[in-house]
Order: sequence, then structure tokens, then C-alpha cells
Amino acid sequence: MQAAGAGEERRTDTSHGDSAHPADSADGVEPDARFTFANERTFLAWSRTALALVAAGLAIVQLLPPFPGVPWGRHIIGTPLILLGSAVAVISYLEWNSNQRALRRSEPVSRSQLPRILAVTIAIIGLVAAALALLSGVTRH
Amino acid sequence: MKPADDIEDTDPGLARERTELAWDRTAISFAALGGAILKSRPYAGIPILVLSSLIWELGRLARAPGTGRSRPWHLLLITVAITGVSIAALAITLLGPEPAGLRP
Repeated sequence: MQAAGAGEERRTDTSHGDSAHPADSADGVEPDARFTFANERTFLAWSRTALALVAAGLAIVQLLPPFPGVPWGRHIIGTPLILLGSAVAVISYLEWNSNQRALRRSEPVSRSQLPRILAVTIAIIGLVAAALALLSGVTRH
Repeated sequence: MKPADDIEDTDPGLARERTELAWDRTAISFAALGGAILKSRPYAGIPILVLSSLIWELGRLARAPGTGRSRPWHLLLITVAITGVSIAALAITLLGPEPAGLRP
């Protein structure tokens, strides 16, 4: 709880005594507006990533020519991308919420899980796409 | 309220403007997607374009003086919007007619 104590000191420097007490409550105090804005921008950046994933999944199914011999090939690649996009949208909101709570309580913000989720899922989708490309090449002949 | 006075004292400066620009980029992303599918799926494209202008207006609110508090409902709208778009995308993908794809 050292971080909370330091936060209380930070608040009392700029406040008039009585507003230092909300730091003791469970909800904490309103953080510096710059931190709130930064947290919001991070959420918005993840949201754009999520929207791009959904758009990519949709485009793969709608715009790519079908894999020869693998009629469901485009759906196998596109559907996980769309699901990943909605997962990133929801998780980024939850992480924004937990970051905002940590800022209010002057606690350290926890490390984001999104980079790992994104990297692992996209790697799997990439491997599946490579397998489908090879498979459609084999079945064509 | 005293904490609000403190937030004004700290002067967020350009953070406010950077945040407004981030909202604008998000709105443009929605507009690009809405415009891209407007011709083939107007029933999906028009609501996305409406969402885009709504998000742009929420970005204007980020610029208003005195703000700087968290705005969960504004951000939740984005999450709900993307979830809705992905549900529509899944419906088009799984239930729609078999797409021929763009031929080279």
C-alpha cells in the first residue's frame, strides 16, 4: 500500500486538506486528467485494432476468391478474425476500467493481456491460412 | 468540488487535443468500414456511418473545458458498436449467400 500512500501525498499537495480523505475510500480519488485521457486513448487505439480485425475478417470472406477444392476455406480464416475483433473490443474496455480504478486508487496499473492474446491468435490463424493455401494447391491437381 | 478544481489546475494541455484526435481516428475507421460496405450491404453500411458521426461528436466532447473525468458510457458505446458490427459481420459471413469473391 506504499503506492496509495504516495498518491495521497500527491493529492494533498494540490488540494485543500478535506479532499485528501476520499483517497481512503474504496473508490479512490479522481486521477490527474492527463492519465484519464491517456487511458482513454489506449482504449481507442485497441478499439481501432478491433474494428480493423473485424473488417479484415469480413473482407477475407467477401472479397477473396474461393480456395480451389476447399469451399469453406475463407470462412475458416475470416470467422476467427471477426471473433478476435469482438474479443479485443470487450477486453480493452475491461482493461480500461481496471486501469481507471487503479489510477483512482493510486495503485500500479496491471500489465495488459491484449498483446499476448493478439499475437497468439493471429499466429494460429496465420498457420491455418498457410495450411489451407497448401491444401488448396494439392487438391487443385 | 475540490478534486475538479485540482484537475483544472493541473492543465491537461495537449492531452485533451490528442484524445480528441484519437476519437476522430476512431470515427474515421468506422466511416471507412461503413463506406466500404455501403454499396453491397446498405442496411449495414448506413448505421455504421451514423455511428461514425456520433463517435466524432463524442470526440468534440473530449475537447470541452472542464472535462477530464472518466466517461465510461462514451467508451462503452464504442465497445457495443464494435461488438454489433462483428455480430453483423458474422451474420453476413455465415448466413449470407456464398460470395464469389473479387476475380483478378
